[in-house]
Amino acid sequence: MTENVVHVRMARVEGAQLAQLVDDFRELVGSDRDATDPAIGRLAPDPYPDDEDASRSFRDATREDLLDRRALDADVVRAGLAELRGDLDSMSQVEAFMEHDLAIRQSDVDAWLRTLTALRLVIAERLGIENDDDHDSDDARFGVYDWLGYRLELTIEAADEIL
Amino acid sequence: MSPLAAPDVEDIVELTAAPLEPWEVVVWNDPVNLMSYVVRVFRTYFGYSLERATQLMRAVHHEGHAIVATGPRETMEVHAQAMHDYGLWATVRKAAR
Repeated sequence: MTENVVHVRMARVEGAQLAQLVDDFRELVGSDRDATDPAIGRLAPDPYPDDEDASRSFRDATREDLLDRRALDADVVRAGLAELRGDLDSMSQVEAFMEHDLAIRQSDVDAWLRTLTALRLVIAERLGIENDDDHDSDDARFGVYDWLGYRLELTIEAADEIL
Repeated sequence: MSPLAAPDVEDIVELTAAPLEPWEVVVWNDPVNLMSYVVRVFRTYFGYSLERATQLMRAVHHEGHAIVATGPRETMEVHAQAMHDYGLWATVRKAAR
């Protein structure tokens, strides 16, 4: 039996930018990770806000594994984007905006969704997004954040079709 | 003791002396997570129907939080960790009596 596949269409320039973001994220959750980085806290929230002892033992038992899983998810996405990588400066405009069809195996879909979500969480932490109306359209980083949300929405729609 | 051996009477007495207290997993509202994503996670992870998952997502969004699972503490910690894997903000607490 062949595995179901989720198709996502993406311009080369989008794929290359996403690959860059995932590379940076891979470094954030990689073996040299900084446990004091608030973005790490956002990826691994406190399960017992009113009980520091219980939270600490939960963290000690689970946090490293959780971050390792984020790194593995990111590797799945990086592998999926391999063909879209490239030096954007040396690309013609036609080449940069050419749409590519990415076929994501059903078993890889969750890794994609979790990674896109994790990227948004990290950016939200950097931008201080805590409420629904925290938004500054003059800041280019919000553009990246919104674009990731759009990408995530499209991937969820495609994935839900074969749910 | 072999896992197949019958429990002795003392074990049974201890179990009745310490009844299992229910705990719950609470998912909190977070402006980052898309509604469609939260629904999908509740459907695929907990196996909830589209209706139930949507209802829970709405509660998270409009009331700020929703109880998504209830049961033994260890199980609730496993669920909370899974929610964290998906990037949802989940906490564990003793269920209200």
